[in-house]
Parts: sequence; structure tokens; C-alpha cells
Amino acid sequence: MDLIQTYSEPELVLLLQQRSQTAFSYLYDHYTGALHTVILSIVGEEELANDVLQEVFVKIWRQMGSYDASKGRLFTWMLNIARNAAIDMVRSRQFQNGKQNRELNEDVYGAAGSTEKKIEHIGLRKLVQGLKPEWRNLVELSYFEGYTQDEISKMLDIPLGTVKTRLRSGLQALRQLLQND
Amino acid sequence: MDIPSYISSGAIESYVLGLSDAAEIAEINALRLEYPQIEAAIQDFEKSIEKHALQTAKQPAAEIKQVLMARLKTEFAQIDPAIAEGNNDPQTSIAPVVPISQSNAGSIFKYLSIAAMVLLIASAGLNFYFYQQFQTANNRYSALLIQKNSLEANMNGVQTKMLDMYQSMQMMGDPAMVKVMLPGTKGKEQNMATVYWDSRSKDVYLLPNKLPQPQSNKQYQLWAMVDGKPVDAGMISDCSGLCKLKNIPRAEAFAITLETMGGSSTPNMDQLFVLGKVG
Repeated sequence: MDLIQTYSEPELVLLLQQRSQTAFSYLYDHYTGALHTVILSIVGEEELANDVLQEVFVKIWRQMGSYDASKGRLFTWMLNIARNAAIDMVRSRQFQNGKQNRELNEDVYGAAGSTEKKIEHIGLRKLVQGLKPEWRNLVELSYFEGYTQDEISKMLDIPLGTVKTRLRSGLQALRQLLQND
Repeated sequence: MDIPSYISSGAIESYVLGLSDAAEIAEINALRLEYPQIEAAIQDFEKSIEKHALQTAKQPAAEIKQVLMARLKTEFAQIDPAIAEGNNDPQTSIAPVVPISQSNAGSIFKYLSIAAMVLLIASAGLNFYFYQQFQTANNRYSALLIQKNSLEANMNGVQTKMLDMYQSMQMMGDPAMVKVMLPGTKGKEQNMATVYWDSRSKDVYLLPNKLPQPQSNKQYQLWAMVDGKPVDAGMISDCSGLCKLKNIPRAEAFAITLETMGGSSTPNMDQLFVLGKVG
């Protein structure tokens, strides 16, 4: 099995659903770096990111049966699992550290204001830094910190409709950055 | 629908990145099926996200994979479907036996599907059994239905006969009926018939008490003797009780001869069976 096998996405999904160890090993080798980067950009600490990464691959493995190719690519599905797991980890850490008592606004501005030197600025999150501030802030809060648009509207005291429009403009601009990257 | 402006609204990016609410997801799931441009835009964005993520990938520590593979060891298929069949790789043959009690989604589905299969087979067997029972019951029902119909027909016949008999009895008991006994003629003494003659309407009825069964081309005919001459009083057919024959206003005697089927205009005196005088 030294042969380096490549699989088409449907083949890979089918083999994973048949619980193939080889396919899982391939999946890990192929995507672990990409998922690791996403997780690290959200949790900000290498050790924590490694724990989350392991849980994310266990989830991917065990939930493979519920993956629906008509709803998106395999990577998109895994990316969402990784992002949610990373945000959950950050939330539970904040809870354990008693951070939940802090004013939400303070936390938000604190985080958004002091992101410059953090390990978080890798991958997509690095790209987001190139957006203009009013968009960047909304993408940060919703995508990387997991706040709902309703929560953001209350935190920043901006109408929900404006949050929605600005976030979408920000995502649209992010798409342009991705294409030019 | 303005597709280009929908595509440039940011809704697709929001959907792919998992930032849409349930209503927005439902909307776009419907739109992507209807508009190929939307489907293409979704796929484009998914691919560019994936491409960027793979380009900016930062590999984690190598031992994570070992820990992970050890952790999932019992969940992998014993015979790896990715490896060609007939492969004698020792790794495969010494693969650990997965304990039955292990509870992961895969084996639950396996047991569920086995259970479903067993239920399906049992149900198919029962279906066959019930179908057979149904067929038997249905056949019995049809047989009973036929039997019932024939019994009913028989009973109707019997009822009609009984009614005829009852009417005949009523007539015999009527005091206005003149009863004329017709004993057998010489050489045919064992024969006997009775004429009932309604004195009001002059209708003639006959009771063939004892007459031999005629041949199929022969028929008995009743004659009335009027002024010494025989007058046709009617053909005797197979009737239950009294046979109603012709109306005879006047007669001195009655006689029965055997004639060819349909009767004759003059009696065949050789075949005279019974004869009786009125009064």
C-alpha cells in the first residue's frame, strides 16, 4: 500500500461510508492541514487546536452517513463541522474562565481590537483582515466568533437589517479577495 | 427572479460559510435546484474556499494521526473496502475482532438492518399464509353461495307446487264442484282418474290418480261425451295437483285416450284408458 492512491470525491465518500480505514487515512492526510488552520484561526492556541482537530475528525468519521453531496462539497461540510467545534471550544473555555460575566460589548471590542499580533491571523482569517473595518468586524464576529446576527445587532446597537446587509457585502468582498488571492 | 443580483447579494457566501438561518437555507436549497447559475456560483465559491484553505494549510503535529487512528481502530471495517478483494495483506487478516457490544452508529445500523430484514421475511411469510387462508375462505364462500342459490331455487319450486296443491285441495273440497270418477276400462282396471267440474263456471279440472307414464311422443287427451259424441276437453300435461282443462258446458260422460303428442280431433278408441259417467 505504498501506492499513492487518489480518489474522486464520490469514491472517497462511498468508501468512508463503508468504513474504509484507507479512505479515512487519505481523508486525514489530504485535509488535516486545511482544517487545522481553520481551527487554529478560531481557538488561537496550538494545543487546544490539536484537541479540537482530533474531535473534528472523529465527528467527521462518525457522521459520514449524514453527509449529503447535493447540499455541498465534502470540504464545505467538514469546514462547517470544524468551525462549529472550534467556536464551541472557545465558548466553553470562556465559560470555564468566568468570562461569561464580562460585558459582551467589552469582550467584542477587546477581541476585535487586539487581534493584530495573535496566532489567529492565518488562513481565511488573515484574508479577512484585508476587508474594510466595518465589514471585517462583522465577518469576525459572525464567522470566527459565532455570534448570531441578532446578537451582533444588540451588541453593536445596529439594526438587524443593517447587520445583515453589511455582513453580506463583507462576504461578497471576501469572495473577491479569494479570487484575487 | 433577478439571478445576477441574487448571486451578487452575498446570500451564497453566507450559505456556504454556514451563516444563513433556516429560512435562508431553505430558500437557497430550492433556488439552486431551479437555477443552474446559482448552483454554479455556489460550487465556485465552495471551490475557492477549499482551494484557499488547502493553499494556506498548516500541518498539525504528526502524532495526532496516530492517536486518532488508534482511537478509531475498532470502528474501521475489518476488511477494508478500499483494498482490492483477494488481497492477502496480513494487516487485514489480523485485524482486531470488533466486539458485538460495541455501540457505534455503523454497527447499530447493521443490527437495525438485520432486524428489519428478519421482520420483512417474517412479514412476507405471514402475507403468504394469510393469502392462502383468504383463498380457502373465499373458495368455501363461493361454494356456499352456489349451494344457497340452488337451495333457494328448489324451495321456490316446492313452494309453487305446494301452493298449487293447496288450491287443488280447496277446489276438491268446494261443494259446487261435481266430482266424476273415471275408473279403468276393461283390461285396464288398474287405471284411474277424477274429473272435477265446476258447476258454476263449467271449467273442467282433472286429477290423474293413476295413469301409466306415456311415451315421449304420446299424450293423454280428455274427451267429453256430448249427445253421444266425443268433444275434445283438453290435453293432459305434467301438472301438479289438478290440471285445468277446457270449459265444457254440457256432458254426459268423460273419457281419456292416449293420443299422439298435441292431441287428435277424434279419439283413438283402442287406446281408451278410463271412462266415467256424470252423476
